[in-house]
Amino acid sequence: MTRTQSPDPDTPVDLLAAVQGEVSWFCCGTAWGPCSSTGKGACGTCNSGSLQHAWPNTSDACWSITRPDRCGVGLSRRTCGFRHRTTALCSGTSVVTSIADCGPQTDLFCGERSCCGSTCANNRLIDLTPAAFSRIASLSSGLRPCSIDVA
Amino acid sequence: MTSRRDLLKSAVLGGGATVVAATALGSLGPEAAFAQSAPDVEPGTPDPNFAEGRIRTIKDNTLLVLGSNMVFHNIRIVDGTSLWKLGPVPFDEAKPGDGLYARGVLMPDGVLAAESVWLNIVNIKGHITNITDRTLHLDHNGQEVLCHVVAGKSVAVHSESPPTADLSMLKVAQHVQILGAWRPDTNEVDIATVFSPH
Repeated sequence: MTRTQSPDPDTPVDLLAAVQGEVSWFCCGTAWGPCSSTGKGACGTCNSGSLQHAWPNTSDACWSITRPDRCGVGLSRRTCGFRHRTTALCSGTSVVTSIADCGPQTDLFCGERSCCGSTCANNRLIDLTPAAFSRIASLSSGLRPCSIDVA
Repeated sequence: MTSRRDLLKSAVLGGGATVVAATALGSLGPEAAFAQSAPDVEPGTPDPNFAEGRIRTIKDNTLLVLGSNMVFHNIRIVDGTSLWKLGPVPFDEAKPGDGLYARGVLMPDGVLAAESVWLNIVNIKGHITNITDRTLHLDHNGQEVLCHVVAGKSVAVHSESPPTADLSMLKVAQHVQILGAWRPDTNEVDIATVFSPH
């Protein structure tokens, strides 16, 4: 069973079942190009080459920036090191990663929808490092629908 | 059944027929590689089958890459390797100075046999501060990135709509994600895809 939106945006949709949303990738840690100024993320451990992810609710300060509730999505508070499994709805492949940063900024992309054929998901709920994203999709795809579960 | 990963490994080790066999598995584009299972790696730790950095030198079919963490990688390009630089490209498009991410199979001798190499790829978010005929100015974490529209390459994806070469719907102040190819040692990017929520 998967759910994407809460009846009440204050109610985490990911507590009892997998949640569907969009997944993208971001760089962190030492890096080249526009990523070189990114830094090691909110947890201080983020590296592009490690199996890690950003989650929109790692702290009150994080939540105040990302605000998935403005898109009608409540998500559980999960802190640095917590593990999620992200499954690409296009390929069915999955990767288990741990939280290393706060993000994505869900409210800036409210209502955005990604599809693979007739399989779609709304709203940006997770960002993976390049190492993690490239396990489930090509980096050149940029954005994909996914399912997110507790690992 | 022999996996794509096994075939790549064989190709690097010198199995002459295996490159042909890898091609026979289907598309060699990067999307094709992801149905294959990869060995478990502890979450939160570096993935040994992945590398990032900048190309220092190219010798025969091997890229010598200096990682941003100052660790060197030897990345072997085989017939089944897919390369991306604003789109699929042949091996001779890889140049010293290019940044890259690579995924493949780490061999016992420390060489990464590459399934996919993405050259200069960036995926950055920000808001548009200016639009001209052929450029978008993006504020990315307070840093201006000049993004070039490339005829025949650049597309916009407005939520679930199909990609379009018409970028005229983009507006100043709008928040977007730009997937593109960095022009090394500049703050400029050639646009592959602009993702817009509206």
